Amino acid sequence: MNHVASKNLNLTLKIWRQAGPKQPGGLKTYQVRGISTDMSFLEMLDVLNEQLIASGEEPVAFDHDCREGICGTCGVVINGQAHGPDSGTTTCQLHMRRFHDGDTIVIEPWLAKAFPIVRDLIVDRSAFDRIIQAGGFVSVNTGNAPEANTTLVPHHVQQDAMNAAACIGCGACVASCKNASAMLFVSAKVSHLASLPQGQAERSKRVLNMVATMDAEHFGNCTNTGECEAACPAKIKLSNIAQLNREYMKAALLSKE
Amino acid sequence: MTDSTAQCKTGLLGCLGLSWFFRLLSSSIGQKFVMGLTGLLLCGFLVAHLAGNLLLFAGAEPFNHYAHALHSQWELLALAEFGLVVLFLAHVYLAVTTTIGNYRARRDFYVLKQSKVPGRIIGANSWMFASGSVVLGFVILHLIDLRLGLRSSLHYLPEENFEAPFRNTLAALSDPISRVVYFLGAIILGVHLSHGFASAFQSLGLNHPKYTPLIKIIGKIFGVIIAVGFASIVVFVPGMWR
Repeated sequence: MNHVASKNLNLTLKIWRQAGPKQPGGLKTYQVRGISTDMSFLEMLDVLNEQLIASGEEPVAFDHDCREGICGTCGVVINGQAHGPDSGTTTCQLHMRRFHDGDTIVIEPWLAKAFPIVRDLIVDRSAFDRIIQAGGFVSVNTGNAPEANTTLVPHHVQQDAMNAAACIGCGACVASCKNASAMLFVSAKVSHLASLPQGQAERSKRVLNMVATMDAEHFGNCTNTGECEAACPAKIKLSNIAQLNREYMKAALLSKE
Repeated sequence: MTDSTAQCKTGLLGCLGLSWFFRLLSSSIGQKFVMGLTGLLLCGFLVAHLAGNLLLFAGAEPFNHYAHALHSQWELLALAEFGLVVLFLAHVYLAVTTTIGNYRARRDFYVLKQSKVPGRIIGANSWMFASGSVVLGFVILHLIDLRLGLRSSLHYLPEENFEAPFRNTLAALSDPISRVVYFLGAIILGVHLSHGFASAFQSLGLNHPKYTPLIKIIGKIFGVIIAVGFASIVVFVPGMWR
């Protein structure tokens, strides 16, 4: 096994500090020493916060929960890249071995009008919740499990639906888009349910309402740059956005909604 | 109260049962759909326009014959011009409104921003509004020069003259201001198309693993052909037929 021995890093951090939603914010510089390359990015921030608490300073507020890349809670812009330099990873999955001794790391929150800053690196992503709510419900029968062969879903359709369902709703797509567009997020949700039999009953209504809510929440338009796809920790594909466009046009032109 | 009178309170579109159409055109996806559709139709015009203009390399005789044959179909030409104006205005109008919306949605800019797309440093996709604006400026000058014939510095032959199409085109191409603007316009148009062509398919929902890679390559080649084609006319034609 090729084991890379852990090293210790001394880093300069430039972190966005903002006391509250309406307060002015700015980058503040901190030094951290002896950061192990085996640490995750969030553990490095934990070390900084221990240091700040010890010196009587307010710790840096940042969102985090599962710390294994499945909950979608964490997310900051690291050196201008959502979730940092690695592809297909969340901030909590980023390891300090991606950095070098003496590096300066700029850490900023997601920036978008639809994601107002709550404090420091924490933003309010409830606009995503309202889009999900606008999507309505999915009819799933309760009671005994139905006979397995009554509802057939071809394997490749299952795969497409599952790939879209992998979206963890972290908001990196919005953060990385120059237009702060939420199209990749909405397209993942719409494509996932439109691909499966359970999602058919509300198919038209769902896409019309979710897109209307997306627009009302002041997300930008999609200019097909592909930045969202590159930043997405769940590797949601741009082809979902094309499917969303199709679903929306079909619903707008042909449904009775 | 019946449904129709209730709907009439929502205005003319409601009375006609077309409020869904208004909703479609005011949605982000509907607007991008129209942008993509108008863009692709304008690409069709570019092909026809370039094909006709390349006759300038063949000389005065073939170009004048082509121009007169085209102008003799004045009913169709009027219809086509009207269509082009509608397409162009819709494309420009939506470009302005969506860009304003995008700017408002982003509002704050990062202190540091880097692309995560492998190999991308700066792409045509970031400059669609800027490149489109340059093309708009070029098109306005081009229409003033050769469609409306309003440049006082150019010596126009009257339209009855058989030689007018070729001579007037050459006069515009020989004017230093027009020459520079046309050249830049052609190059920037190519940059615009290098993203716009493939992007339009995505906005129309036409993404397919079998065709999308090809469409992307065709988009780049199309941009190069249009840029080189029109720019070559500006560069070589005035010298050839002085």
